[in-house]
Amino acid sequence: MTVRSWQRLRAPGPLSLVAGCLVPVAGTFAIDSALEGIIGLAAQVLALGWLIRDVRGTVLRAAVGFVAAAGIAVSTWLYGGRDLGEAGMAACRILYLVLPSSMLLPLLRPSQLGDHLAQRLHLPDRGVVACVAALQALDAFAADWRTIQHARRARGLGLDGGPWHRLKGSGATAFALLVVSMRHTGAMSVAMDARGFASATDRTWAEPAPWRPADSLLLSQAVLLAALPWLLH
Amino acid sequence: MPSTRCLPVGKRPTIAARDPRTGGAHVAVEALGWQPLGRRTPVLHDLDLTIPAGQRVLLAGPSGAGKSTLLRALAGLLLTAGHGEVAGSVRIDGHDVNRRLGGTGLLLQDPLAGVVAETVGRDVAFGLENARVPRSEIWPRVHATLSAAQFPYPATHLTRALSGGETQRLVLAGNLVLDNGLLLLDEPTSMLDAVAANAVRGAIQREVRERGCTMVAVEHHLEPWVDFADRLLVIGRHGEVLADGVPAQILAEQGDALSAQGVWLPGLPAPRPVPVDATLVAPWVDGPQRLVTATGVRVELRSSLADRAAPPTVALAGVDVELRSGQALAVTGVSGAGKSTLVSVLAGLLRPTAGSVEADPALATRRGTRPWRWRSRDLTARLAWAPQSPEHGIVTATVRDEVLASARACGRDTARAEARAVGLLEVFGLDGLATVSPYHLSGGEQRRLIVAATLAHGPYGVLLDEPTVGQDRHTWGAVIGAISAARDAGAGVAVSTHDLMAADVLADDRTELAGGRVVR
Amino acid sequence: MTTDTTTRPASATPSWRTIDLMTTAVIGVVFGVAYWGWSSGYTAIETAAPVIGAAKGLLGGPWLIAGVVGGLVVRRPGAALVAETLAAAVSGMIGTQWGATVLLSGVLQGLGVELALAFFLFRSYRVWVAMLGGVLAAAFEMLYEWDAYWSGMTTGWKLTYLGCFALSGAVVAGVGGWALTRALAASGAIDALPAGREAADDRSP
Repeated sequence: MTVRSWQRLRAPGPLSLVAGCLVPVAGTFAIDSALEGIIGLAAQVLALGWLIRDVRGTVLRAAVGFVAAAGIAVSTWLYGGRDLGEAGMAACRILYLVLPSSMLLPLLRPSQLGDHLAQRLHLPDRGVVACVAALQALDAFAADWRTIQHARRARGLGLDGGPWHRLKGSGATAFALLVVSMRHTGAMSVAMDARGFASATDRTWAEPAPWRPADSLLLSQAVLLAALPWLLH
Repeated sequence: MPSTRCLPVGKRPTIAARDPRTGGAHVAVEALGWQPLGRRTPVLHDLDLTIPAGQRVLLAGPSGAGKSTLLRALAGLLLTAGHGEVAGSVRIDGHDVNRRLGGTGLLLQDPLAGVVAETVGRDVAFGLENARVPRSEIWPRVHATLSAAQFPYPATHLTRALSGGETQRLVLAGNLVLDNGLLLLDEPTSMLDAVAANAVRGAIQREVRERGCTMVAVEHHLEPWVDFADRLLVIGRHGEVLADGVPAQILAEQGDALSAQGVWLPGLPAPRPVPVDATLVAPWVDGPQRLVTATGVRVELRSSLADRAAPPTVALAGVDVELRSGQALAVTGVSGAGKSTLVSVLAGLLRPTAGSVEADPALATRRGTRPWRWRSRDLTARLAWAPQSPEHGIVTATVRDEVLASARACGRDTARAEARAVGLLEVFGLDGLATVSPYHLSGGEQRRLIVAATLAHGPYGVLLDEPTVGQDRHTWGAVIGAISAARDAGAGVAVSTHDLMAADVLADDRTELAGGRVVR
Repeated sequence: MTTDTTTRPASATPSWRTIDLMTTAVIGVVFGVAYWGWSSGYTAIETAAPVIGAAKGLLGGPWLIAGVVGGLVVRRPGAALVAETLAAAVSGMIGTQWGATVLLSGVLQGLGVELALAFFLFRSYRVWVAMLGGVLAAAFEMLYEWDAYWSGMTTGWKLTYLGCFALSGAVVAGVGGWALTRALAASGAIDALPAGREAADDRSP
């Protein structure tokens, strides 16, 4: 195998990435013991790990999943009959749900996903474009959130009371953010219609949405991961 | 195999490139009216206007005169983000604007409002995709437009990595690529610093000249446009035409009258600051000489949420600055130089990554002398801050509550606070609006309201981010007057601004930043 | 030269205006960021206080609010589903402990709200409808969580959890989302949308 074709296999498209995150979920329901779970998780790492690009980021994302799994394990132990095996199994189930996402989601690019949703899955063009355009404003909304919090702090309404005070403050900040973002939405809509978006029900696409061998490979891996716990059963 | 929906050429309408020799679009407005829902009076009423192909029109008038509304009407977009009754017609090259394919070419104040895509190339392609241009034609046109616009980045560059000025130039390219012969400009440089504004204006004027587009521009400051425009159209507060003709002639004949309406005209001195009673704006009690001292301050800001692997940006690096009672400091520099960050650091809103920000021991609270550690209401009693975009600063449901919010939070005497609030609203021309929601004010009104809200409770330090944007000559004088009066009464003032006129009139001391460092 | 091709019949105007689409999408994105923020608070409480047991269903209501607000503001079939799904997707993309499985939750919760609105033929947007939307969203989500998350729990525990979740959905997402929509309409920020238009009608003399 040449280096180039290897590189191409390592770059699956957005639809197979989403499938890679979601299809293995079907296997979760068949995990009936901690041992099955551990075998399944090892298989996930072996099958999908080679696609990882940003190792540090992936480990950080996975760590959040482990914390949540630990929480579930403790709850299950407390309320599910104080059985360690049950607790381990519950934790493995959660990890089996989320581990593929930790590995694959960082590779997903929203604008590519939009191209594929519209051209391959034939979702409505304008709806897809609107979602991708709104995603472009994500960082702007995060910055808006910080500015509003600064303004509230400077005006004596900052988040430094008890939990109830904080909850109220966060709610007020969220409301202010919604108002600001709705105004921004109005301006964006005007700018988009000025470029002919109002009538673009059936538009062309500057980028194609190809399905490549890498996508078929990832999809078959995902199907195998969904089937594996049932086979172990 | 790529599955595309490239449409067969010829079967679907496409936008053909406009021949530059034929010039721009012809615009005909007949009996145009617009009354937004919930308003007593129309914003535009029975307006007739003809703009011949290739004409460059400069649209001026006092704030609130419906200039932006007229631009949106010309683009057929009144109902896109508003609701109300439209009367009359707008025809572009003989076609009803609402049924015309391919857009109109519109640049808005906020460059970010114009960005729809992840990369520069995809963003320029947006209009072509909407117009069903086949993929094989899209990319040649995108590349040609970007290179004609002398855009400094390749088509693969990420849009979120662009500065405000660069973003506005991208939006320009994304509109021009459609070749529809019309360019509508709604204060496209008002949010930019002088250098970026010049670059954007230069790009616009070059393209309009080369393409022979019809242009209608709304700008607060007329100076850089007067020589470029063929026609100056001045509209009044009720959408009526006050003057219409050759710019130089109108300015010579009616300059004084327009200036009296508050319109910014070339060649006039700065408006005189409005005298403001010291009791409205003075610190509640006298403060120490030195309020806040920043030494060797470095600030790194969190990276993007969308791209979490991106490294943090260094907004300030080794900055020393002092906020002193009775002194006004102007912080200037291009966008991204760190002006807003510096003002936020002095206001106790950002924790410095390195270096120190210390208040005078006389201002210490139980949490010490570092403002970013203070509790919110202790901070409010000492230092006030107004954000660059006033809408983000709104924290209450009425104009009156907005001005009183800080006074209430830090427990000021109610009667005195109310007297100051009433006085400040009057100075800023907001006295008739006390029970209105701040969100219903215009942008210029909101900005004055937020400035009033930083002064009413009498903090020692007043930190303002761009307090004069969007003001006409009258309201500019009121804002500068109130800030000067606060300073004269002993408040320490720091203003981050692109408005060099404001810096000249106001500042006792200046700091110019570039790349997060003090250059002067 | 393009006289015939630069106009198109008005009947081709799509029924969703740009502002409807963009508002739905932006509600999704904004709440996606909020969901992401809430996910750390949720995990902190869940991990630090496992003793709250099935009562942690009470913490679930905030996850359902995007669908309610989307449906109530835009008032078109599908708006609630898209807003809730996008919010879930955005929180997943920024990174929560649930990864892409939030998409499943988003779709189910969005469908729950849609069902409530459809029950009233997309004609009523009162607080009761919003509350029903919150309850159904919680119930739909439980279809998935029943086995995937709470496989080790007793049926009694699961039913208690569902009750708490539905209550939280009714109060936080239903009443909360309805109140948020009203406040948003009063601010004038959504005058171009049905909910805002109604408020503007009330404001007008």
